[in-house]
Amino acid sequence: MSRLATTEKVQPDWWGKIFAGAVFGLALSFGMVGLFAWLGSDGLTQTISVEKHSWRTQFNMWIIPPIWLLILSFVFMFRSAKQALIWLGGANILVYVLLYFVRGIA
Amino acid sequence: MKVRADILRIYQAVHTWTGITTGLLLFIGFFAGAITMFASSIDKWATPPSHQLPQVESTQYDTLIHSVLAQYPESQNGLKVSFEEGQSPITWYQQGSARGLSLDKQLWHGTLDESGELQAHTSYINELSALVDYLHRSAGIAGEIGHDQAGVYVLGIAAILYFIALISGVIFLLPTLVKSFFALRDNKGASRFWLDTHNLIGITSLPFHIIIALTVIVFAFHDILYGGLSKLYGDKPLFARDAPSKVEFNVAHLPSIEEIVARAKVYAPEHSIKEITLSRLNSKSPSASVQLVSDEYLMRGPKTDFLFMNPYTFEISTSSVINGDQGIWGAVVTTLFGLHFGSYGGEIGRWVYFFLGVLGAVLFYTGNLLWLEKRRKQKQAEQSKSTQIMGKLTIGVAMGAMLGVAAAFAVTKWVALTALNINVVYMWAYYLCFFITLMSAFIFGISKTAIWSQRSIAILCFSLPLSSIIAMMLPSLGIWPASGWSSVVLELSAAILGVIFWKMADKTRLRALYGEPNSIWFIGQSQAEQTLQSQSA
Repeated sequence: MSRLATTEKVQPDWWGKIFAGAVFGLALSFGMVGLFAWLGSDGLTQTISVEKHSWRTQFNMWIIPPIWLLILSFVFMFRSAKQALIWLGGANILVYVLLYFVRGIA
Repeated sequence: MKVRADILRIYQAVHTWTGITTGLLLFIGFFAGAITMFASSIDKWATPPSHQLPQVESTQYDTLIHSVLAQYPESQNGLKVSFEEGQSPITWYQQGSARGLSLDKQLWHGTLDESGELQAHTSYINELSALVDYLHRSAGIAGEIGHDQAGVYVLGIAAILYFIALISGVIFLLPTLVKSFFALRDNKGASRFWLDTHNLIGITSLPFHIIIALTVIVFAFHDILYGGLSKLYGDKPLFARDAPSKVEFNVAHLPSIEEIVARAKVYAPEHSIKEITLSRLNSKSPSASVQLVSDEYLMRGPKTDFLFMNPYTFEISTSSVINGDQGIWGAVVTTLFGLHFGSYGGEIGRWVYFFLGVLGAVLFYTGNLLWLEKRRKQKQAEQSKSTQIMGKLTIGVAMGAMLGVAAAFAVTKWVALTALNINVVYMWAYYLCFFITLMSAFIFGISKTAIWSQRSIAILCFSLPLSSIIAMMLPSLGIWPASGWSSVVLELSAAILGVIFWKMADKTRLRALYGEPNSIWFIGQSQAEQTLQSQSA
């Protein structure tokens, strides 16, 4: 393995990355599940049975934590806290803008 | 596999921190969880046989139900009809409900005598398995937040860190994974042996641990997650409801239990029906909750699948048996529940989950030991404050929790001879043992505490089969010996555990007296003292 210059090395930046993963990561996983809840099959725009709707909602709730946990686990791979905040923040903006339009149309 | 050194270092730190902060909480959660796999057997073992009333003929259930409803009208709020041998055919709560841990629940049991008259009596509920379940879900952290125990949220947060610990542990094991995966080196010092054990268990049971971490987080925080989700749903409801019935139902028109059973059988032909709980019978929303069992299918609950039905119209609102309109969503969700509870594969499945749970506890215990060994100063006996405190906490908490549970099991049959409320005694027994062990670790040090607590656990384990032997030899005493296959296996397992703990105490003693002098376990004479003594002699 070639030696990396200090600037190329992944910085620990503990608190910044933890904040990005915990807060931005959670918001992002909610947003992604929100998109899936509206656009995915048996979505909120469709007419489905009361029974199916109830299990779909449970499913939606269940998939929020795994998405969040994966973001929180791999957030330390970002080169710095700044990078983590920019990427996760950007992804949040994208997802929530999309969600806004999807719900507006629906 | 190659991973860059800077990333490796970061994830090593992540693994260490997430691991050391949660290890002890998870230890309690896992060893208690392993025991809850046998909750039904434990309750059967711990409940005096006199509490259960004899079963009735299958044709007599309706007579029984209607006589109970006539004489005890309050039972219409929750009447449990059980078809299992060894259980009272009908039970209902006077105080409390089936959920949660409460120390003074009063349960009514009913049956019909030979002349067809209703016989009923109340009894307390033995909460031994509920105590273990409470430890499993809350690690024994008392107090309530909202409608749940505070400990549940603490374990929920611990599970978040635990998930990160799993991922980071795998990342920083990757470079050496292939080389040393199956290596279990017992000739390179204790530290290496523990590391190999830790890695072997961690990797082989990784899928189980990922499922457990995920489900624990959902169990703890589902209300908060639903709250957030409802914001995204906008004006769409999270859970739609069928329009409520306009009719007010009345028990006078309750169909026969056979018809309800028949309807459930049509829906779930390959399950057998364990019990049916009828509730809110005089209302617009009556409910029959049918508990279904099958060893062939993965079940959603810890012991059963459920089916909700209107007992008057036979309309099924939903079920965890996928035969209605649940779609793929129901299948995934019920599978996640079932994978946590290990409610598949019958008896073998329970034993597999028991060992996975025990191995999990070993994983966290060895993790703590590794942390202690790694931070230990090799060349001197004096260790840093954090190492000392963590060592004491590790022994005090782990041994204390196990000693507490062993004590609760051991007092069960003997306290039944007194007028004491057994469930209150359980709490005292558990917390006394726990705090005495913890204090002992801080006052007398870890080695002495480990040795005496392991010996005590062994003795308490031996006392279970011993009580049965005493009961058989002195029937006048009034305690009941183990009867039935599951109770005998329970006491035999306790005896085996007793042997294991006794051997552990022997090993700890050897290491403490004759092991490496600079280890935190050492309480023997150091080399220097020995030479001094031999010189003066």
